[in-house]
Amino acid sequence: MVHLSDREISAEIIEACRLGDRDAFRALYDAYKDRVYSISLYFFHGDPAAASDVSQQVFLKLMTRIGQFRGDAGFSTWLYRLVVNACMDAARRSKPDVTLSEEFSKPGSPEEDYARAQMANSVRAAVSALPPRFRIAVLLRYFEDLSYEQMAEALDCSMGTVASRLSRGHKILAERLQGLMGAKK
Amino acid sequence: MFTSHISGQLAAYIDGGLAPRKARQAELHMEQCASCRVECDQVRFGIAVLENLPLVEAPDGVWASIEVAFEESRPRQTPVVGQWRVVFAVSVVLALVVVAYWVAARPAGMRWEVVRLEGSPTVGAKPIRGAGQVGSGDWIETDGRSSATVKVGEIGSVEVEPNTRVRVVAMRPSEHRFALLRGEIRAKISAPPRLFFVDTASGTAVDLGCEYALNTDEDGFGMLRVTKGWVSFQFKGLESLIPAGASCRTRPRAGPGIPYFDDAPENLKQALERLAFEKAGNEALDIILDEARVRDTLTLWHLLSRVEAEDRGRVYDRMAALTPVPARVSREQALRLDHETLERWKEELAWTW
Repeated sequence: MVHLSDREISAEIIEACRLGDRDAFRALYDAYKDRVYSISLYFFHGDPAAASDVSQQVFLKLMTRIGQFRGDAGFSTWLYRLVVNACMDAARRSKPDVTLSEEFSKPGSPEEDYARAQMANSVRAAVSALPPRFRIAVLLRYFEDLSYEQMAEALDCSMGTVASRLSRGHKILAERLQGLMGAKK
Repeated sequence: MFTSHISGQLAAYIDGGLAPRKARQAELHMEQCASCRVECDQVRFGIAVLENLPLVEAPDGVWASIEVAFEESRPRQTPVVGQWRVVFAVSVVLALVVVAYWVAARPAGMRWEVVRLEGSPTVGAKPIRGAGQVGSGDWIETDGRSSATVKVGEIGSVEVEPNTRVRVVAMRPSEHRFALLRGEIRAKISAPPRLFFVDTASGTAVDLGCEYALNTDEDGFGMLRVTKGWVSFQFKGLESLIPAGASCRTRPRAGPGIPYFDDAPENLKQALERLAFEKAGNEALDIILDEARVRDTLTLWHLLSRVEAEDRGRVYDRMAALTPVPARVSREQALRLDHETLERWKEELAWTW
């Protein structure tokens, strides 16, 4: 996991983005694109088209609304609120289909041994099957390592609710992956 | 003291999100509560398994339409002069003119017609039966068995081939723009040059009055094949001009390759691929120069500005051997890549292309 302080985007870059500086916006995009894409990809059952679509929406909204960012919350928190909204909106519009995409469920790279590939596929499938509000909390915490306070802001709920969703989400994962529990230990 | 169960706090307890006093209370509770101890192990395991989710790199295609939208929307620089009142007044007038133009040129709710050709193409994730409409920002998507055609305003049409995902980015009279994320489109455009654009991860195809097919994958590996007129393919200041009967490969971060005629000798085409994208050296260039015919000066003209400076002379000499060099084109200026000289030469050569 990467720590927020290592990559919090600088105020200068945000200011340059406000002024329409293309290179600054590209720097901002480069800083966050893989995490935004990964969260979307795992949220949407490994569907790269849906993940690309949501990532584009997020950065387009970011671009048009960056003038509204006042710095009273962390930039990451603000950005991930856009991610959460985009993912949850898209999830509401689409059917509750938890079938993993072919791309996602195919075996891992040749370097991965069979057991590891199986483990990875099982984890992806279990994450995909989580209810959306637990899924987004788990992914946000894992890929962003936001504090509970930041997550509460991004998810628009209380810190207690964040803690509860994470606990329940991880417990569901453990129950679904029970067979792997011994191997992992 | 046996307090109430702490299920909802376990994740926070494990990853250090609880205040010290609450964490201590949780520990005390678990010392007495077997159920919460078991649950704590489960949650710890549920957190640990996430190590199996690697960070996935966003495809280059994601940036393509973002960049287009960025270029459209970024604020223009205001000149800095002392007489700010004059600047302010001029800015207000200009803003009014721009708004008036925008309102006049972009009727509210402008949409283009999409007609299903086969299967179940979708617009904005909704399947279209027969005919539908597409607006700015909408995605058109086809699976392996579907295709559709889009009427592009008054200037032509675009066929969306199977397994394609393409977005309408701009639909103004002065700019008809798509972003092709993956798959293939076939464009038929009858309009003045530079009104129709297609962005891909490896660059932008600019219509110069033409018909063409363009395919790409999400990373930007693709091919542009022109059947009528001309297309300019551009990427970060690099431009390839592709006439009817010619093709051009595209590569991520490398932009357009060097165009070649489809009927060019196979050896030339293969050597060109190696030279352009694998940075193969003299051997590939030797083959290209040996195999080139008169009309392959299309390829040689593009090569002139893409090969190393020490190889330019060889390219120039081969072009000069194939077709007379116009009087106003000097070897020295051509080797210096003088823009006007190269443009003049291209105009003459284009009669043979």
